[in-house]
Amino acid sequence: MALVVLLLLPLLGAVVVAVGRARPAAAWVAVGTNCGALALGTVVAVREIQIGPMTGAWGVLRADALSAFMVVVIGAVASLASWLGVRMIAAELADGRSTPARATTYLVLVQAFVGNMLLAVLAANVGVLWVAIEATTIATTFLVGHRRTKGSLEASWKYIVICSVGIALAFLGTVLVYLATLHAGGHSAGALDWTSLMAHASHFNPAVMRVAFALLVLGYGTKVGLAPMHSWLPDAHSQAPAPVSALMSGVLLTVAFYAILRFKAVTDVAVGPGYSRALLVAVSLLSLALAASLLLTQRDYKRMLAYHSIEHMGLIALGAAAGIPLAIAAVLLHILGHGLAKSVLFLTSGEIMAVEGTSRIDGIHGLLARRPALGGVFGVGLLALLGLPPFSLFTSELLMIRAEFQVGLGWAAAAAMVAMVVIFIAVAGHARHMLFGPGTAPPEAVLAGTDLAAVPAAAVARSSPLVTAPLIVGLVACGVIGVFAWPLTELLRAAAHVVAP
Amino acid sequence: MSGSSFSSSLTLGVGAVLVCAVAVLWLSAIRSVIRAISLQGVALGAVAVLLGVHLHDPALIATAAVVIAVKGVAIPMLLRHVTGGQPLARETRPLVNVPASLVVSAALIFLAFARTRGIARFVGTTAGTLVPVGFATLLVGFFVLVARRRPIFQMIGLLLVDNGIALVAFLVTAGVPFLIELGVSLDVLLGVVVLGVLAVRLRTDFGDLDLDALQELHD
Amino acid sequence: MTGAWPASTVAATSLLQVVLVVVGGPLLVGLMRKVRCRLEGRVGPPIRQPLLDLRKLARRERIRPDQASWVFSLAPLVLVGTTLVVVAIAPLLTTDPAFGSYADLFAVVYLLLLGSVALALGALDSGTAFGGMGASRAMTIGAIAEPALLLAILALSIPAHSSDLPAIVTGSLAHPIWLATPQRLLALVAFVIVIVAESGRLPVDNPSTHLELTMIHEAMILEFAGSDLALVKLGESMRLTVMVALLADLFVPWGIATAPGPAQVAIGLVSIIGKVAVLGVVLAAFEVAVAKLRLFRVPELMAGAFVLAVLAVVSSLVTP
Repeated sequence: MALVVLLLLPLLGAVVVAVGRARPAAAWVAVGTNCGALALGTVVAVREIQIGPMTGAWGVLRADALSAFMVVVIGAVASLASWLGVRMIAAELADGRSTPARATTYLVLVQAFVGNMLLAVLAANVGVLWVAIEATTIATTFLVGHRRTKGSLEASWKYIVICSVGIALAFLGTVLVYLATLHAGGHSAGALDWTSLMAHASHFNPAVMRVAFALLVLGYGTKVGLAPMHSWLPDAHSQAPAPVSALMSGVLLTVAFYAILRFKAVTDVAVGPGYSRALLVAVSLLSLALAASLLLTQRDYKRMLAYHSIEHMGLIALGAAAGIPLAIAAVLLHILGHGLAKSVLFLTSGEIMAVEGTSRIDGIHGLLARRPALGGVFGVGLLALLGLPPFSLFTSELLMIRAEFQVGLGWAAAAAMVAMVVIFIAVAGHARHMLFGPGTAPPEAVLAGTDLAAVPAAAVARSSPLVTAPLIVGLVACGVIGVFAWPLTELLRAAAHVVAP
Repeated sequence: MSGSSFSSSLTLGVGAVLVCAVAVLWLSAIRSVIRAISLQGVALGAVAVLLGVHLHDPALIATAAVVIAVKGVAIPMLLRHVTGGQPLARETRPLVNVPASLVVSAALIFLAFARTRGIARFVGTTAGTLVPVGFATLLVGFFVLVARRRPIFQMIGLLLVDNGIALVAFLVTAGVPFLIELGVSLDVLLGVVVLGVLAVRLRTDFGDLDLDALQELHD
Repeated sequence: MTGAWPASTVAATSLLQVVLVVVGGPLLVGLMRKVRCRLEGRVGPPIRQPLLDLRKLARRERIRPDQASWVFSLAPLVLVGTTLVVVAIAPLLTTDPAFGSYADLFAVVYLLLLGSVALALGALDSGTAFGGMGASRAMTIGAIAEPALLLAILALSIPAHSSDLPAIVTGSLAHPIWLATPQRLLALVAFVIVIVAESGRLPVDNPSTHLELTMIHEAMILEFAGSDLALVKLGESMRLTVMVALLADLFVPWGIATAPGPAQVAIGLVSIIGKVAVLGVVLAAFEVAVAKLRLFRVPELMAGAFVLAVLAVVSSLVTP
């Protein structure tokens, strides 16, 4: 029952917004439903640890530790993003850059997006998971193209074409898994449920499962943004409005990875851990190398953040490759930390773009001097993302490296660390350019080349605490979790054992 | 129905799916290409009906009805709507010209047949031996995505990929459970709607479109 | 193949085949022309007109361009010669033609290819612009048409487990179910497209045009005169006839003589004449209905025929 309510909350938000035609009150109700989803998710997680997995909706939904954890992540990021989304929509409506119809579409689609992500992680059935993830692609395409510029149109076209191809391949992988389970004696009624798959996995034909897992990594990996299927990611995440980028980068990528984790658990029983390990290591190292090389020459800070997401997805894949419970727990912690920090950063960069008028790195100087609150949040967020203590990404990366050495993937961890150092240098260099320096205005020539709507006069004022407060809360949460993982240790341990029993 | 008539009608249906995929590469007029896609949807539904009758599975026949309605009727209607303003449009400057694309598609068909015999053997049923045709359709769909410049052809390439995978699903496991198939078809339909809206916007913003002209975003 | 026929019967039927095609070829061309004219509302020349033309041309003086070499003189002879060999060994009247086991599909296809290449070389050798242009256009079409033809007949040979044409025909007679399969249909479509292309008929090439923009075959034979031209025209009509006859016998084999008796051979004769005549009429009617394809779109058509033939082969390999 609780699970059905959990799914209905974002839906309720969508209905309220659709009826209320993007009036601020309706929008805040939607934010409230997302926060409610976070709260309910926490309750479900606690109950799951105490009682065990819960099911709902006649077995279509199932929440074990892993699902509950992902619900918490989704809830947290969705609350942050929709909070700032309200403000963005209000600003657009005030300046006439948007109509109530488009604002309503935006808000409804965001709720549909959040609802589908929740459905994906709560699905008991692999087919429902697929349908939900495909639905998120459809919901986000218009969100990416929200600003109706040529760049965003191109980005949304690339996004939906590449991700649809990937999702189609993931469906083929799912069909092959279904074939394997039917031949191993599963009954067609519940054959695609996770529990049934795990139970019969030892009888699956290894050759079929190998092909299936490769297709699933290729397919869902497209949505995760792993190289070489990543080409949609920088465009989509940089052209989308900031709250949407936060949601996509913070949590959609990891929901797609959640699917890969689940299938990895099944494949490891059927084929042995070596195959998935090799595949995931290859993909992760490729992503890390690509992110490192392309981050050095970035000129746009939103694209920089997008490539940084590719790096983190590579790290997560590397952690998952190790496969032992310690590694999976580290991966999940990383998912949470990355979700919080990346969404805070994207939301901050959205604010920066709104007040500065440019998304180019060389168009922004002395942010700390001119707008200390925004600059401070941005700087601290970057510190968090680069893996510095006390933030949780430091902890999770350390645990991952330890786990890699434990299973003999030390060489891969070393290569990853080299890439991380390069990325650190690149991002720190870009950040230094943006944050430090005197508080003078950027040269006109730089601003002239940007592709933006006109900077609204009202945005030159100081950012309101209503904006910076949730961002600071997000960063603080990230830091707290890094130091004391205690609210989550039990949950992480249980979730890790779902994937690596 | 008797074994040999079942297998020959199944071969006919499955072969029609692949011939329609090749027809997409052969014909350059968009109207004819949409007709080929529509025919492919109907052929796919026919395959599902044949399998449903042979296996006495009413859910499969219901799935076939959904497939015909969505892929044979609704999606071609949407595609026609997207290209409605230019009924005589054709792909005049493809990335790979028509004879070369057809030769490449022949090579892809051989590749599919050579590499997927393992799966066909594993499945073991009469329908299973035709699985390579589904993979061949999938590869031809990929090639259409890559080798054609107009957005409508990328949509059609995606549909070919989807149809190929659906054919593999029908032949290998007699389809996925009905509710999932319903969800899948709905997703595909919505995807085509979204793509159609984007394609219309692309045409109004960028003019008569060559996708290679979309070069604003790059590193 | 059936048990060995007496050599005398085999020799007699082969000779009969050769005479039939040599005489019947121009008659088929005349028949097709007559049907086209009638459908267009004209009376048209009599059916035996091509034979009269050949007789007229044979008596005229041979004129060769100064710069032409022995290739030019040899080309018509090679064309007619290869086609005669194909006629002698193909299973048109009987399923046991001369040189029985040499009636391999590869041999037949490559003999036909040899003929068209020889003609193209002769046209090239004439040194004129039209000759070169026609030769290059014809070879562009032939480059895709020949593999398509090969693959189409290969698709037929797979169920028969033999690439001998007589074996394919006897196999089809023994298992009529083979004739109703999808791969037969695909191979048939590919075969028809190749026949239209190789014999230079609409929609690929208009046999009565002399416009530079549209000529393919006519451009190649522009420089031949006198008995050379007679041989070339004879060769062309024989190629058309033998390809249509092969189409008839591979796809609709009933009527062909399977035993060495005079009655069966007579039935075979009548049936092949009937089938070829019917197919000729159908082809001519089809020509009236279609417009000529633009030249740069002809390779698209041929490539389509190629892929259909490929599909026929793979579906023969895969069908349980």
